[in-house]
Amino acid sequence: METGGNPAAGPASVRPPRRGGLVYLWTTLSVALATVAASLGAWLLPHANLSLLYLTAVLVVAARWGLWPSLYAALLGFLAFNFFNTPPYYTWTVHDEADVATLVFFLLMAAIAGSLAARMHRAMAESRAALHRLSNLREFSGRMAAALGREDIVRAVVDSLERMLDVSAVVLVPEEQDGLAPAAYSPAAAERVPVEQARRAWAYAGRECREGGWYFIPLTTGQGTVGLVGVHNTDASREQMELARGLCGQAAVALERAVLAAELEQERLKAETEQLRSALLSSVSHDLRTPLASIIGAATSLIEYGGSFSAENRRALMETVLQESQRLDRYVQNLLDMTRLDQGRMPLQRDWVDLNDLVSAAQGRLHSELEGLRVEVAIADDLPLLYVHGALIEQVLVNVLDNAVRFSPPDGVIRIEAVAENGDVVVDISDQGPGIPEEARGKVFDMFFSARQGDRQSQGTGLGLAICKGLVAAHGGNIEALGNAGGNGTRIRVRLPALSREQVG
Amino acid sequence: MRETETGQRVLIIEDEAQIRKFLRISLEAHGYTVAEARTGDQGIELAGREPPDLVVLDLGLPDMEGVKVIRRLREWSAVPIIVLSVRAEEREKVQCLDAGADDYMTKPFGIAELMARLRALLRNRRREAGSGTAVIRSGGLVVDLNRRLVTLAGETVQLSRKEYDLLRLLATHAGQVLTHQQILQEIWGESHTEDTHYLRVLVGNLRQKLRDEPTRPRHILTEQGVGYRFVDDRGL
Repeated sequence: METGGNPAAGPASVRPPRRGGLVYLWTTLSVALATVAASLGAWLLPHANLSLLYLTAVLVVAARWGLWPSLYAALLGFLAFNFFNTPPYYTWTVHDEADVATLVFFLLMAAIAGSLAARMHRAMAESRAALHRLSNLREFSGRMAAALGREDIVRAVVDSLERMLDVSAVVLVPEEQDGLAPAAYSPAAAERVPVEQARRAWAYAGRECREGGWYFIPLTTGQGTVGLVGVHNTDASREQMELARGLCGQAAVALERAVLAAELEQERLKAETEQLRSALLSSVSHDLRTPLASIIGAATSLIEYGGSFSAENRRALMETVLQESQRLDRYVQNLLDMTRLDQGRMPLQRDWVDLNDLVSAAQGRLHSELEGLRVEVAIADDLPLLYVHGALIEQVLVNVLDNAVRFSPPDGVIRIEAVAENGDVVVDISDQGPGIPEEARGKVFDMFFSARQGDRQSQGTGLGLAICKGLVAAHGGNIEALGNAGGNGTRIRVRLPALSREQVG
Repeated sequence: MRETETGQRVLIIEDEAQIRKFLRISLEAHGYTVAEARTGDQGIELAGREPPDLVVLDLGLPDMEGVKVIRRLREWSAVPIIVLSVRAEEREKVQCLDAGADDYMTKPFGIAELMARLRALLRNRRREAGSGTAVIRSGGLVVDLNRRLVTLAGETVQLSRKEYDLLRLLATHAGQVLTHQQILQEIWGESHTEDTHYLRVLVGNLRQKLRDEPTRPRHILTEQGVGYRFVDDRGL
């Protein structure tokens, strides 16, 4: 049987054509139909012309099923015509010599027409198959182009081989320590991934080879062989293997591209880390130097000119030294907290704490910063106690307040509100500063966000709010930046779960 | 106390309350009158309302870049401006000086040095106003501006015209940093502001004639990456 099978079978060249009996049964029926038609037509047509009915049947068979069925139909038609339609009827003998000639010509024409029809049919089937192959390849190329990484690529290779060649396929990639590991495989091959065979095939160093029922095609890139594609189909045609090779070639290019993209990403990440590091350094040195500038300035003032100062001024400068040292200490604490948060070593020492105490402690620590500003505190009377690590939540309040102070106008009002809401304690701290643009609100909690903004906000630690986020998250809460209901300013909302005594146990 | 500038008005534009505090206390103890501003806007407004004799300006203000404040002030005022910055970057300093600042201090700093810079700026301003000294002394070096005569330990030093111009420029701004750009523009003109090698060669020659060791200069100090500063007998 030729490759030109049933055109309805689609990718004719790659699927086994519908074989045997059924086709010949249909052919026989076609001839039988022609015979019936000829018997009926015998009253209308001269009997020699009845052969045209048989010829029609032969052509139909040839067009549908190709050469051999058409020859079979011709032979059958010849015999039927002889038996039923040439005198003497119902015998194999032929009286009229003209009828003999008719029969011979009939056989000849049937053979020629059949072979022509079959050739046309084959060409059609082939072009259809080629079209199908092309669209498969295009789809495969599309998947390759869209593939984000190695996983996508090897998956696409296996899927495409499976669908286009009707075979089980597997892709293996080298592992550490000279091993090979399957990266993707057909479901049918799941039970018998040919790792051993592949290992032997790998030794051929970039050449195709057959190993234990599998055909292995290497995936070769500029960097050498990056993987093996195994096809389990011992009787794959040359054309099929060519197709498989084409896929593997494309896949190798895509893999190389993926590797390069990954390297590029790595570079970008490194550059970004470097940028972050320098932002950190400049931010930290800025933060440490600002209080140091006050300390050194106040101390040198006292030493150089202290004699001429009033007692009150001398005390004021000594207070500067103290307060700025404490501020420095806060920064150092923040840095330490950040490092510990980063490394996941922040054991929570939870206890029952009254938010009122935390708020007043935070205000106390920012006593000098809050000078000249008004702080309004509105904590709901029915607010439950918090089960938190008090010092850490105090630090959160200090950082958020410090931030609010920094952006407050002179004589500004900072409002601290707290209510219980849906089993959470919600603390809002709002200022009357310039506010945070909507698109930046999510980012203010990123490490060194303000550092990245340049030095505009000169005291921007870039760390404070990031630490808040980490500390609040460690307590199972969250923190967000909102706009103020009454126009400008920023509202930082801290939400902490209010645990009941039963929950804590 | 070396020199008390009574009644001179100093405007401090600085957002750090603690820094404003020690500056105010020290300045007031020296007889200066002090005005304070927390933001650039406030500072510019205050300077317009009551023109100060000197401005101390912090670069990291919450509302605007320090350089912008300098430019705004320079639109109408020649008031000496001394810049405070935690940034040690040279580019930043040069930017400020070129924008019209007269000197800078990098935080943290000691109060005595700031006071000396302040005095030098106020002095130069008086000299420019016409009551200036015609003779500037630095160690054994005497620059007589009136007679265009330079002597070192009593002996006359022969200077080329450019060398004298450079020395006069630096000496009349004693105690104050002049950027490469400013000097180049002053001595060679607008079209040579990028030719810093001219300047290095000229400073080298001048130092040699003044017997100033380049590694430990006494008269002409190098502000690395920024410019030069002349030291007279009144020090910094």
